[in-house]
Amino acid sequence: MRFRFGAPGELTAPSDERLAVGDPRVVDFLSRFARKLLAPAVARRHPELGSLGYFLRPAELSRAVERMRREDAYVFPRGNVFHVPPANVDTIFVYSWALSALAGNHNVVRVSERSATAADTVLAALNETLADADPVIGRTQRMVTYGRDDAVTGALSAWCDLRVIWGGDAAVSAIRKFPLRPSGRDLTFPDRTSWAALSVPGWRAADPAARKAAVTGFANDAYWFDQAACSSPRTVFLVGADPDGVAGEFLEALAEVVEHRGWLVDASMAVEKRVNAYQLAATGAATALLFPANEITALTLAGVESAPRRWIGAGAFPFASVASLLELVPAMNRQDQTFSHFGFAPEQVRAFAEALGGRGVDRIVPFGQALTFSSIWDGYDLPSEFTRLTTVQT
Amino acid sequence: MSVFTLPQAAKEQLLLKELVTLVDHHRANCAPYARILSASGFVAAQSIAELPWLPVRLFKNLELKSIPDDEVFKVLTSSGTTGEVSRIYLDKAAAATQTRQLGATLQTVLGPKRLPMILVDTKSLLKDRRSFSARGAGVLGMATFGRDHVWALDESGAPDLAALQDFLAKHGGDPFLIFGFTYLVWLHLYEVAKENGLDLSNGILIHSGGWKKLVDQAVSPEEFRRRLAADVGLTKSHNFYGMVEQIGTIFLEGPSGGSLYCPDFADVVVRDPLTWAELPPGQPGLLEVVSTLPTSYPGHVLLTEDLGVVHGVDDGDWPGKRFSVLGRLPRAEARGCSDTYQGAA
Repeated sequence: MRFRFGAPGELTAPSDERLAVGDPRVVDFLSRFARKLLAPAVARRHPELGSLGYFLRPAELSRAVERMRREDAYVFPRGNVFHVPPANVDTIFVYSWALSALAGNHNVVRVSERSATAADTVLAALNETLADADPVIGRTQRMVTYGRDDAVTGALSAWCDLRVIWGGDAAVSAIRKFPLRPSGRDLTFPDRTSWAALSVPGWRAADPAARKAAVTGFANDAYWFDQAACSSPRTVFLVGADPDGVAGEFLEALAEVVEHRGWLVDASMAVEKRVNAYQLAATGAATALLFPANEITALTLAGVESAPRRWIGAGAFPFASVASLLELVPAMNRQDQTFSHFGFAPEQVRAFAEALGGRGVDRIVPFGQALTFSSIWDGYDLPSEFTRLTTVQT
Repeated sequence: MSVFTLPQAAKEQLLLKELVTLVDHHRANCAPYARILSASGFVAAQSIAELPWLPVRLFKNLELKSIPDDEVFKVLTSSGTTGEVSRIYLDKAAAATQTRQLGATLQTVLGPKRLPMILVDTKSLLKDRRSFSARGAGVLGMATFGRDHVWALDESGAPDLAALQDFLAKHGGDPFLIFGFTYLVWLHLYEVAKENGLDLSNGILIHSGGWKKLVDQAVSPEEFRRRLAADVGLTKSHNFYGMVEQIGTIFLEGPSGGSLYCPDFADVVVRDPLTWAELPPGQPGLLEVVSTLPTSYPGHVLLTEDLGVVHGVDDGDWPGKRFSVLGRLPRAEARGCSDTYQGAA
């Protein structure tokens, strides 16, 4: 076991340390940590850490703390929280941990062995911040890396009041084998699918600058994390009558952005996309395939019901046409997470959300916001998950 | 009789005609294949490089066959590295053709008679059901081209020196056949023969299975040939490249070594992994293998995930293209939210 952050020692030993919800020592630590992430050198190398730093600015932190307060009850930390973040999205573990720390919990985060350079940068910044922080931080907040050690996972599962499992269905099932204490709970983040919707009249009405901004936002959403994050948009729904030509214009604009950014898709990924695209064609789910370059694969779907829910590669865009957003409602289910949109009137978007009625889709956001983490995530209000309530009548 | 006879121009002319017919045949008889071609907008091919290729991995994910269910005579499977399995459907005619053409290809270097044969593997391989499909099927398939077989490894996988000495005493004076996976030949035949002074000079070695394990030990293909010849007298050795998805077609190393050759009914195209256009000799890219043998499933034009390079055309031991396989394209991995803690308990 490697201690990546915090005081080494028995992870599950009882502790006399107490933190409060919105504890000033934690707020101070997180704000100083955020400043390090926002340093130009860091943000340039890892743009995703810039977003994280932004999320942890003092103003954001006090807003989050404010949201934890209630009139009708005392709000206290939930207790011990064990986080199992995904290996490949380097920053998720920080969001999850930071909110939990802000809620005053004692945290243990299992940082994957396969975590990449952004995670190392984060850990370095955390440790630098720790050097002149209140010692309570290091004693209550620990990040460790260990292999598939069932004894450790089992002990932490029995120790925690809340276990946070990221990483999809397989990870959730694997970790669920370890029992929690009777009062313990799981907060799970299983496999998700995310979509994009482009209004046909909205696109046609948009001027070149608005189109370019939309496509740039969409490109960031899609190409960061190889279109494989739970919130990365995959299928694009063309919404509105007479969509001819819109997909072509959109793809052309997308190709320009991708080329301008210098994003490349290597041969392995290109083959992966061919395999998956051919498979969709073979079953009749896709009726036309376009491979203009390795960076962009476009598929015309036979219909909305053919939209794939699994990953088909970085820069792969199935298109399906519908007359209105409401037509998409029956196709949505609980697996669906983020629905990003462009060109719709606010009332159209709200009507869609209301028509969904909770059958699926947790976030409806404009193009460019798909990956922006928020304290309401996957349908959970995380600050409230990370706290417990005590009511008092006198 | 050799199946390495056609100069490139004559071969391409002949193959193109047959392959165009095969494209139509599979289009008419394999609906998923027809849907792929129509979705990707294929109309016609004027050259072999223009023929529509399928990624070989598609056979792991889809049932692709051009024969009705009741004509399926044999289903071949390959075990992939990630546990996915290719399924290749043969009818009687296709099964017979692949055996015949594999035989004809090997006879080019083995001669018309069945030779006594050393199998560089262990007999227990055939008992282990898990490893049977890949290695076992390969060994069993090749065994039919020899006689009076001996296994170079005993049941526990250790070299069986006594069996080898006994075999060589009986058959070592005339040509005999040796077959095995390249790294097994190196580890378990070459080393043993060298240490014990076995004379393999009448042997003809046919081997396959990739160089990765040997390159890890710093043994290049050239070094392999040189040391076999110098240390145990084995001068006739032929590496080959082939896959279950194009069963019956093997690309065989020529007598002077260093290059693989295409039999008359097959060819290779090296593609640029960025533009997917055909690359000229000397430029490495992704290997596409082409063969007229697959009639019962659309495996006639396959893009492999192997990197290769054409060294020359009509300028080697045999006519046509000569090429090498350089290694494997790494499998693409998603940088996604999944895969946190797999394999636990």
